[in-house]
Amino acid sequence: MLNKKVNYKFPRNLLVLFELMALLLLFIYDKENLDKFTLISGITLIFIIYISNFILPRISTGDNYIFLIVTMLISIGVIMIYRIDPVLGMKQVVWIGMGITIFFVTYFVVKKIKGWENWIKLYGALSIGLFILTLLLGTRTKGAINWISIGGFRFQPTEIIKILMIFLISSYYTNYEKYKEKKYGSYYLVGIIYVFIAFLFLQKDLGTVLIFYSVFLALQFIYEEDRKLILYNVLFFVLSGIAGFFMFDHVRIRFETWINPWKYIDNKGYQITQSLFAIATGGFFGTGIGLGHPDFIPEVHTDFIFSAICEEMGIFTGIGIIMLFLILVYRGFKISIKQEDKFFRIVALGISILFGIQSFIIFGGVLKIIPLTGITIPFVSYGGSSMLSSFIALGILQVASEELDLGEDKDEQRT
Amino acid sequence: MYNIFSVVFKYIFIVIIYLFILSIIRLIYLDIKGMGATSLDNSIYLKLINRKDSLPFKVREYYPLEGEVSLGRGNENQIIIKDPYISKRHLKIVEDEGNYYLEDLNSANGTYLNGDKTMDVVELRNGDRIKVGQVEFLYVNRE
Repeated sequence: MLNKKVNYKFPRNLLVLFELMALLLLFIYDKENLDKFTLISGITLIFIIYISNFILPRISTGDNYIFLIVTMLISIGVIMIYRIDPVLGMKQVVWIGMGITIFFVTYFVVKKIKGWENWIKLYGALSIGLFILTLLLGTRTKGAINWISIGGFRFQPTEIIKILMIFLISSYYTNYEKYKEKKYGSYYLVGIIYVFIAFLFLQKDLGTVLIFYSVFLALQFIYEEDRKLILYNVLFFVLSGIAGFFMFDHVRIRFETWINPWKYIDNKGYQITQSLFAIATGGFFGTGIGLGHPDFIPEVHTDFIFSAICEEMGIFTGIGIIMLFLILVYRGFKISIKQEDKFFRIVALGISILFGIQSFIIFGGVLKIIPLTGITIPFVSYGGSSMLSSFIALGILQVASEELDLGEDKDEQRT
Repeated sequence: MYNIFSVVFKYIFIVIIYLFILSIIRLIYLDIKGMGATSLDNSIYLKLINRKDSLPFKVREYYPLEGEVSLGRGNENQIIIKDPYISKRHLKIVEDEGNYYLEDLNSANGTYLNGDKTMDVVELRNGDRIKVGQVEFLYVNRE
């Protein structure tokens, strides 16, 4: 049975088949109005994804599965977004194209430059700079200031800071011995992370606070030697959660609608109840693409894309997406275990935790398992900054999956 | 018309997604199997560069090196690879005072070190690529 030829080509071809069928479906749906531009960009996207999957194993000696998994996720996502709103769908296609380009750029840049673990101050300064920029130029959407726009181009700085924070924590724990010798050395990291969290509180961006805290606590739990510090942090986490509940109105609303959304079905709880209705309508196999009503849910293309997918493509596809994320996170952990370089080891772990936590928070939110926080599903939801930063993270993970960076380095020094 | 297509397609989509997931899990399974029996406490070893599932014969992900190790198709070798392009006794790697030397044993298709065919005994350095038959190894020496 094991000798049967299922190799790397098989999932790659399945992916192309999936995308071509989706395009065919679109063609049948809208024969008259379909413009050439849509068709061409659709085919181009399929082509780009195939080519990327084709050349990646040839240029990288590392892991080949993570990119494949991610391309499946973006395919499901973009099909759904296009179905909800063709204009956004086309934009998403462009973002994906840029994302894949950035993935390769990140891969080469991170691989080429050595000494990432020594620039801890730079990561801290850049993050704080971006936070201050957000506060100065930020625009308020839905209770949180997290967007800045420069020259018509809007982006969410926290998406970049997430990655900078992982780099910061990693470089701290890589040089842990050095910091430990200094007085209060182990409090440096905690201090700077709380500065980040304070900034996020000022922005009222509490979904991101949750992500930052989770990644930080997870990494600290693994690498911190001062175990008491972890306990303090968990305590502080609970305290700031309670503080957030009493300080901010929208947190309280989220909490109330989580406990009982049916009471507020006509106003506050409308979104979450519609999401639950949508998932229930879909059943096991869904209504079929284009035959449901995902547009009843507000913000369906970003936060609630999962409900839309469950409605039209079935809960089986929903489970499929969760499984894809599971494999992705598992691969990340494996990469981290195998990596010899300590810095990239921690980075790989951080990025896997980031993907895992982010998808858990939003899946749990739309399914009403945990209180809803408005964050995007990496690679699936609509959103430029989220797409780009996720691809940057993936590029770094790809570098981390390769071996012998150290060995080659030594070799160069000898000759 | 469209409705029928959409309903049919949704089943196909689910089948494709699950086939995709299963095939990836299978590939990962092969990957883990290869990684299980490694003894990485030995810091000198050969590491396979090829993708394991691209080779139609059994080959391990790592081969630790110690003393004298010979590689070939025959069963008397320490490293046995049933590649038709590999000779019965293809090459040997010998330790001498902490250094490792690669020697081709007059194999039919030769041994390539970093792309060049080896003619004589050569000293191996960390990061060298050894190509035998269809298989390519990386020589790792972390000492």
